[in-house]
Amino acid sequence: MTPGGRDAASPLIRLKGVSKAFAGIRVVKDVDFDVRPGEVHALMGENGAGKSTLIKIIAGVHPHDGGTIEIGGEPVSHLTPREARRRGVAVVYQELLLFPELTVAENVFLGHAPRTGWRGLDWPEMRRRTRALLDSLDSPDLDVDTKVGALSVANRQRVEIAKALSQDARVLIMDEPTAALAEADVVRLMAVVKRLRERGVGIIYVSHRLPEIFELADRVTVLRDGALIGTRPIGEVTAQSLVAMMVGREIDHLYPKSEIAPGETLLEVRNLSHGRKVRDISFALRRGEILGVAGLVGSGRTELALTLFGITPASSGEILVSGKPVRIGSPRDARAHGIAYVPEDRGLQGLVKPMTIAQNVSMASLERVRRGIMMRFAEETRRAAAAIKAIGIRARGPGQVVGQLSGGNQQKVVLAKWLETAPQILIMDEPTRGIDVGAKAEIHQLMTKLAGEGMGIIMISSELPEVLGMSDRVLVINNGQLVRTLERGEATAESVGAAMADARREEAA
Amino acid sequence: MNWKAILRHETILAILVVLALVVLAAQSDRFFTPENLLNQGRLMTEVGLVAIIMTFVIATGGIDLSVGSILGLVAILIGVFWQNLGLPLEAAIGLGLVVGTLAGLFNGFIITRFGVPPLIATLATLALYRGLAEGISEARSVRGYPDWFYVLGQGQVLGVPTQLWILGLVAILAAIVLGLTSWGRATYAIGSNETAARFSGIRVDRVKMAIYAASGFAASLAAVIFVSRVSTTRSDMGTGLELDAITAVVLGGTSIFGGRGTIIGTVLGLIMVQALKNGLSLAGVRGDGTIVLIGAVLILTILISNLFHRDGNR
Repeated sequence: MTPGGRDAASPLIRLKGVSKAFAGIRVVKDVDFDVRPGEVHALMGENGAGKSTLIKIIAGVHPHDGGTIEIGGEPVSHLTPREARRRGVAVVYQELLLFPELTVAENVFLGHAPRTGWRGLDWPEMRRRTRALLDSLDSPDLDVDTKVGALSVANRQRVEIAKALSQDARVLIMDEPTAALAEADVVRLMAVVKRLRERGVGIIYVSHRLPEIFELADRVTVLRDGALIGTRPIGEVTAQSLVAMMVGREIDHLYPKSEIAPGETLLEVRNLSHGRKVRDISFALRRGEILGVAGLVGSGRTELALTLFGITPASSGEILVSGKPVRIGSPRDARAHGIAYVPEDRGLQGLVKPMTIAQNVSMASLERVRRGIMMRFAEETRRAAAAIKAIGIRARGPGQVVGQLSGGNQQKVVLAKWLETAPQILIMDEPTRGIDVGAKAEIHQLMTKLAGEGMGIIMISSELPEVLGMSDRVLVINNGQLVRTLERGEATAESVGAAMADARREEAA
Repeated sequence: MNWKAILRHETILAILVVLALVVLAAQSDRFFTPENLLNQGRLMTEVGLVAIIMTFVIATGGIDLSVGSILGLVAILIGVFWQNLGLPLEAAIGLGLVVGTLAGLFNGFIITRFGVPPLIATLATLALYRGLAEGISEARSVRGYPDWFYVLGQGQVLGVPTQLWILGLVAILAAIVLGLTSWGRATYAIGSNETAARFSGIRVDRVKMAIYAASGFAASLAAVIFVSRVSTTRSDMGTGLELDAITAVVLGGTSIFGGRGTIIGTVLGLIMVQALKNGLSLAGVRGDGTIVLIGAVLILTILISNLFHRDGNR
């Protein structure tokens, strides 16, 4: 460590009044932020709050427009990724940036490998130092000669951290490090983070998970709509106050959930299984009900949806729609039984972006806009115009290309596409991911309205406030299994979070 | 449909075609005569049939390299069925068309069932089908077909070469299917985003299988016309045909990444290539010079088109 970093009083990195605009839109507004040696500073905010942009500014990826940045007490005017790295700032991104075909040691020392006397690579030294780094991260089980492509996500993450440390990182930025981890790995990662803190590394920890924040963080900073809402020591906040800081209003006002007496059973699933991610799942969905599905990424939530929708047909178990057993072997079968799926990945699974709104809206219901095999283009345009009006898609018209729309409006197009099939059962996977707060509220209103009209909605979400705010009941999926079902009254951040993070502990308690 | 953006490439190409015709007509007085033009139409039919269906293949983001080999295989089989097995020629032709279609279906099967990239799958069947053709023919050629058979490749109907009527009919049908039906819509959707098409309940695999089978059928039909036109059957027939067809399709504005393309464009591309080949040879330009020029025109057309496509959606 350098002398500057040892002084606990002076921050490793300090941002003052930093701003950033893209195409004239300010996404980070006048933010003050600092990290001290040996602290975990949590950075929180909703999607689109500016967290990612802020960490990219610190990492030198985006140049800042206004304000000052000091690293180790020295002002830096022109921060590039290279410069940031040289000054000891390292990032572990959500999408791990490793080379799958190279070994662990090669990845760790890529770009700064130890050299022998005559400029050759010093392989024994590289392997020895990688070994030492991994041991210091409590990972003696990781072989330095394995190809990274063969490792689990958790192990790759450790390689990324080792890589950061190999470059003498004094500030480590971790962007949603637990989003893709199973619960045992989360516990292990938290131990690693604590160990780094003891060594005096300053850690910027981006996460949505309240329990983690309360366990790890020393201070927490909340951003909303690009602006700094506040920085507080962890002892001065509660889960409630943090959520209020993030969303800017009370949670009940945010989620327009109306109380509904659910009707008869629309969908019943008995002992449904597919592979290792959907194991023996049974539940029922009733008319008018919004059924929240919570679970960590990789817990099997999306796989459950894909099995119900026929992308990965069930290997065993029963699906009953309105009391009748059905076989769902393809999305076509699902559609025929009134099941619609608004997928997780809008750009890849939901939309054909170079096509127009009208073409996307009709895509799942082509039989409604054709006579024989001939397309009825006028009818297609008319229906799309009606959908634009009904759902409130902000667009120039049915002929506008979908790729030009904002995330929220794109999501509404996907929804419109499926509403055209007149479904009874609507599965929505991360319905508000990556869309702004306004559009989010509109989607929530639509969900409430559709449920009110008698549709049964299954909502999969990583955002706990959304699950709690919108659901009549909450299913918690953990490791491919349904571990808990909570009624609206008993579902709290704590009860759902606990079931998500560790099923066994919850059952034992 | 984003007609404005799509028609723009075809418009540019149409202007270039007219320009080329005018320049070539000025180079030789034997070029712009009805006899020559109709004869050129006769010569471009085989590539044309293949290119029209290739437009569908490429619009789904695929490619079919095996068409030339299917042509060769079907040509040989017709000869063998007729001469060696003693079937009536009509039955031999019918059987040839069936085998060619099955060969295309087999391409589609490997591609959809095993997820082999179309480039690899059809590169393999290019070798496979050609090898079969050569093995079956044992380097012999078949001649001496009955006279009625030559009407197809050498005759005329109402003063226009017979096969040009077939090409025209296929082009019109294909243009309707691609532009105006839900099958065409599915083709574009698959080419633009196969996953989203699948998630929308479109039967992606079935559509692709049908398109590769149609490609095999088009190559077989081209084989029948080819044999009739040249009065003989040899196993090396159709070698390199796939590249001529792909050139016409791409020149016609179909995106090699899928999702975009029209039959009108492909037909214009065909006319352009054929006019250049014929006109330049009449003007006394050597064969290798012609190939260079076709390459240059291909690059130029794509460049101009991309210039106008800056607002593109990719």
